[in-house]
Amino acid sequence: MVYTFSLFLMGLVVGLVAVASNPAPYFAALGLVVAAGVGCGVLVGHGGSFLSLVLFLIYLGGMLVVFAYSAALAAEPFPESWGDRSVVGYVLVYLLVVGVAAWYFYGGWYEGSWGAVESKEFFVVRGDTSGVALMYSFGGGMLIVSGWVLLLTLFVVLELTRGLSRGALRAV
Amino acid sequence: MTPVHFSFTSAFALGLMGLAFHRAHLLSALLCLEGLMLSLFIALALWALQLEATGFSAAPMLLLAFSACEASAGLALMVATARTHGTDRLQNLNLLQC
Repeated sequence: MVYTFSLFLMGLVVGLVAVASNPAPYFAALGLVVAAGVGCGVLVGHGGSFLSLVLFLIYLGGMLVVFAYSAALAAEPFPESWGDRSVVGYVLVYLLVVGVAAWYFYGGWYEGSWGAVESKEFFVVRGDTSGVALMYSFGGGMLIVSGWVLLLTLFVVLELTRGLSRGALRAV
Repeated sequence: MTPVHFSFTSAFALGLMGLAFHRAHLLSALLCLEGLMLSLFIALALWALQLEATGFSAAPMLLLAFSACEASAGLALMVATARTHGTDRLQNLNLLQC
């Protein structure tokens, strides 16, 4: 359990190294998918299964799918992967920086600081599920605000992508 | 700093560095922004879970909603850039260059 958990944590960092080293956007989106997947694993390890599912559905299944097909706009004939000369320097430097920082903090990482062990009883109503339900009762104002902001964003996107001919949407 | 806190803090710092040192594509910078949002979501969710402040579980959900707004606005800007400049490479955004 601790090994799986530490593997997920390292996967998160390595996935974001893969994104931050700026390869071609195809590969950066792949790194982000891997990082989000293992991030869901981290949340499940702490007992937050609802938030993990929300991350999977909305983030991976909603936003990253849009990024994946928008990567067609950034198509190039020879996409640079992480092994290509201009990218591998960034990868090594970022891994080195993270390694140095981990070595600096390593003294305080003992056996019990790795993961959260679910040693409580099993309830049907989980903590994060019922906490999110507060968004509909006491947090109703924030719900309305975020719904309004999402509607506003729809119109922002429609305005930005309207293009020169001020009429219907067109293909890219 | 516990290992969990170190991992999402370094994830945030890496996304920030990737955004600051972006090289060729606008979409790479947008993906680094998404990585920042991912690390913030994991941070807020772990706050609610580790401290058992279950009322705080709504915060990562709201963060995700606003991050979706930001991602869609960024992608619309990239589509507009690809239409007017033909590509989303940052060296093509040079109209103001003397």
